[in-house]
Amino acid sequence: MRVRHGEVLLATGFLGIMTTLFLALKWAPSVSIDAFASPAAQRIFYWHVPSAWAAFIAFSVLFVGSALWVFKRSPTGWRLHVAGSEASLACGLMAVWSGCVWGAAEWGTPWDWSDVRLNTFGLLTLLALFLVLGRQSQPDGIESRDTFSTFGLYGFVLVPITYIATRIWQIRHPGPVIGGGEDSSLSSDMGLVLLLGAISFTILIAGHMVMSARITEYEQRLERLQNKVDGRI
Amino acid sequence: MEGMTYLTIAYLGMILGLGIWTWTVVTRSRNLQSRIEALEDSLGLKDFESDILAKEANGNE
Repeated sequence: MRVRHGEVLLATGFLGIMTTLFLALKWAPSVSIDAFASPAAQRIFYWHVPSAWAAFIAFSVLFVGSALWVFKRSPTGWRLHVAGSEASLACGLMAVWSGCVWGAAEWGTPWDWSDVRLNTFGLLTLLALFLVLGRQSQPDGIESRDTFSTFGLYGFVLVPITYIATRIWQIRHPGPVIGGGEDSSLSSDMGLVLLLGAISFTILIAGHMVMSARITEYEQRLERLQNKVDGRI
Repeated sequence: MEGMTYLTIAYLGMILGLGIWTWTVVTRSRNLQSRIEALEDSLGLKDFESDILAKEANGNE
């Protein structure tokens, strides 16, 4: 029997995410009611931060895949581009949605158009949306692959800007809770749940990218087989 | 308690969305695989070359 790595990764990641959410709701300590307007909503952080982390991994895969297609014409590069754009869109939407839920409870508004972190991350998610919808609406060809890969390549510039945004311009989005200097702090129990969430989301998104790359390969094989049946090869 | 109820609903909605996406990807992969196997069997082919565009692009460089 063939071992399906993608499915194993997906099942493991999903199980880890369910465990993370159970621990987030039942076990992780509450935050101070003085520091937050809505302390209960803070627990969405155990979904929001890992999904944003997974989105950055997916955007990195998109960048590498785009570069491999543009510079090496690598078929693996194109599959990574497709897998990275789909995973970026899914993780980006999860991070944006969970952020909006928290923002509505904590700030009284789901979005702040003046916050740099929110807007650069929103732009990254829109870029992923453009790449996914664009690829589905265009016939597969060298020119369309070049166009989408160029967007994937140059769009990556928003990733480091998004990462440093709360370190330079802290407007509405909270500052970093890990690796942000003396101001960043997290209790060990909270850190443990967050770590489990980050590992689980990483495994899940790796599984999705393996599956997505496989689907792209299947679609290409099917199209070529169809051409052979039609007598075009 | 109202905050926790709101949060639980938000979490369940996101898990449901993630579950649907994951299920769609797995079934799509399995459907494509079975269609390819059926076509390859009927044509007497095995492991057909997949990405002709990459070959074409490399050939044109």
